[in-house]
Amino acid sequence: MRPYFKKMTAFGHELKKGRIKSSQGNLKKLKDAESKIQIEVEQVKMAGLPEEKINARGQMTVWQRLEYLLDPGTWCPLHTLYNPENNEEGTTNVIDGIGKIAGKWAVVIGFDNKVLAGAWLPGQSENILRGTDLAKRLNIPLVWLVHCSGAKLPEQEKFYANRRGAGTPLFRHAELEQLGIPVLAGIYGTNPAGGGYHGISPAILFAHKDCNIAVGGAGIVSGMAPKGEFNLDTAEEIIEKAGQFKAKPPGTVKTHYDETGFFRYVFETETDVLDGLKDYMKDIPSFHPKFYRVAQPKEPGFLSQDLYHLLPMEPKKVYDFDEVLARLVDSSEHMEFRPDYGPEIYTGLCKIDGFLTACIGNRQGYLGKDYPEYADYAGMGGKVYRQGLIKMNEFVTLCGRDRIPIIWLQDTTGVDVGDDAEKAELLGLAMSLIYSIQQTDNPMMLLMLRKGTASSHYFMGGPTANRHNAFTIGTAASEIYVMHGETAAVATYSRRLVKEKEAGRPLEPIIDSMNRLAREYHENSRPLFCAQNGLIDEIVPLSDLRKYLVAFVGAAYQNPKSICPHHQMILPRIIKG
Amino acid sequence: MAQEMVATLPGKVSQVKIKVGAKVEEDEEALIIEAMKMETPIFIPCNGTVKKVFVREGDEVDEGAVLAIIAGT
Repeated sequence: MRPYFKKMTAFGHELKKGRIKSSQGNLKKLKDAESKIQIEVEQVKMAGLPEEKINARGQMTVWQRLEYLLDPGTWCPLHTLYNPENNEEGTTNVIDGIGKIAGKWAVVIGFDNKVLAGAWLPGQSENILRGTDLAKRLNIPLVWLVHCSGAKLPEQEKFYANRRGAGTPLFRHAELEQLGIPVLAGIYGTNPAGGGYHGISPAILFAHKDCNIAVGGAGIVSGMAPKGEFNLDTAEEIIEKAGQFKAKPPGTVKTHYDETGFFRYVFETETDVLDGLKDYMKDIPSFHPKFYRVAQPKEPGFLSQDLYHLLPMEPKKVYDFDEVLARLVDSSEHMEFRPDYGPEIYTGLCKIDGFLTACIGNRQGYLGKDYPEYADYAGMGGKVYRQGLIKMNEFVTLCGRDRIPIIWLQDTTGVDVGDDAEKAELLGLAMSLIYSIQQTDNPMMLLMLRKGTASSHYFMGGPTANRHNAFTIGTAASEIYVMHGETAAVATYSRRLVKEKEAGRPLEPIIDSMNRLAREYHENSRPLFCAQNGLIDEIVPLSDLRKYLVAFVGAAYQNPKSICPHHQMILPRIIKG
Repeated sequence: MAQEMVATLPGKVSQVKIKVGAKVEEDEEALIIEAMKMETPIFIPCNGTVKKVFVREGDEVDEGAVLAIIAGT
C-alpha cells in the first residue's frame, strides 16, 4: 500500500505577510488566554507543601517522580485543572496523563503527596476513572505512583460511597487486570485504608523501603471505640494509642515483603522504585511502530505557530479549517473522503507520526446558496446538514472496518433545524451517526478547536461517547454549551416578555434576567470552566496540540486489540476510486 | 494591475478596515461581512494600494459584489 500512503495529496498554504500582520491581535488574545490558563496550572503544581519541605523529609514530590519516570518530552498531562467539587486545595489530588516510560506509552496517575499526604478528595475518583478508562480504551498499561494517606475525613460524604465513589477505581483496576492490561504501582509513604487498597489493587507492587500499606492506620485504630462524646479522658486515651501506632505503623515492608510477600520488590531509594518501573515497562507487550506505520514520521509542512494566526479567538469568525489541519498532520498531506459531498464536513485520512489516522472536522464559512440542497436558505459551515451527516456515518463505519483511529476536530454551532431539516431526516441521521460511532470499536479522541454546541457536540465524537472517546483536549478558544447564551435567554424569556408587555408591566426585570442568563452561559462555557468541570480533559496551547495527537495515535497503535492489514483496507481504495 | 475585491457571500458589511490610498498586503484582512450569525473576513487579493472602496459599514451586499479595487504593485 506504499503508493497510497508514502506520498499523499499536499494541502494547506504558507501564510502570507498580510495575514500575519492583520492577525497579530488574534495571536495576542490567544497567547494572553493561554498565559492565564498557565497561571492556573502553576497554582495546581504549587498546591500544598513546598517542594523543599517534602525533599527535606527525604521524599520526592509527585512532580519530581513523574519527571524522573517519564521519557523526556513525551508527557501529555490530563485533568490538571479538573476540580469538579471546587476543593479548597484546588485539585482532586491526583496528577495524571499519558506519556512514555522506557519507550512505551502508559497512562500514569500519581497522588500529590504535597497535599494532605496524597489524600482522597472529592472529585478524585471521577478523575481516576477517566485514567482507568483511558488505559482500557487504548489498551496500554496503567502506572501508579501511590502515596495516599486515605480519605480526607471531614469531607468523606462527598466521595467515600456512591456508584463512582472512591472504591470504584479498585474495581476498575481489577477490570483492567482481567482484560490483560498491566497495572503497575510504585508505592511510597504511608498508605492506610483507601491508600492501602490503592497500593494493593495493582498487579505488581514496587515498594520503597519506608512505605506501608494497611487496611487501617493509626488514626482509625485510635478512634475505633465510640463513646458518645469526647472529653479530656478520651483525649488522653487517644493520645496514648496514637503514639503507639506512630511508633509502629501497620503494614510496613517488614510485613508486606517479608511476611505476606505482597510487595514484589523493595527498593532502597525513591529513584530505585522508578527505575524498577522503567525496567518492567521495557518488557510490556507492544508492537514496534514499524508494524503499523504507513510512512516515515514527518513534521507538518507548516509551522504550528501559524495556528495563532489561523484559529480566531472570536467565536463567530470564519476561518479555513483545512489550513488548521495542515498544521497538525504529517507533511501536511491527506486523502480526502468525498470532497464534493457534504461540504461543511471534512473527512479524510492523514498520517500522524507515520501512523494512518482518520480526521473529521467542521469546515467553516459560507456554503453557497444551493446548499443545503433540501432548503431554500443558504448553509454556513459549523452547522451540520444532511450530506455532512451521511458522509460522517459512512466514514466512521469504514474506519471501523479498517481499524483506523479517529481524531475529531470540533467547531460546531449545531445541526440544521426547522421543518425542512426534519423532512431531510437530520434527527434520524444524527442518531444514525451515534449508532455508527457506537458500533465502531476504535479509539477516538476529540480536539475542541472552538465551539461545541447542541447535539453535534455529542455526535461528533464528544466525550459523551465515553466508551470511544479516549480523551478530549481543548484550546484557549474552546467553549461548550447547549446553545449560545443569548439564544438561550430568548428561548427562556420570550413568552414572558410578551405576557409582561400585554399586562402593561415594566420589561426591565425580565431584560435583567435575560442578560444575567446570557452572562452565566458565557462564564460557564469558558475553557477554564470546561477544564475544571471535566467537559474537556486538558486545555492545550495551540503549539502543543500535535504532541497530544502523536501521543493518542502512538498509544492506539502500541498494542491494538484488533487490526486490519494495510493491504486489506477498503477506505483508501474507496477514496482513490 | 488593479484587482477587484469581491464579496464571497451576501450579508451586511460590519467592519471596513481599509481606506483609499492605504498600502496593503496580500491576504490582509480588509473587511468583515456578517451573515447567518457568523463574521466572514474578506482578504486583500494582492499587494498594492487601495484604489477604491465601494462599501461602508452597515451596507448590505450580494454575493459577488465588488467591494473595493486594489491597484497591484
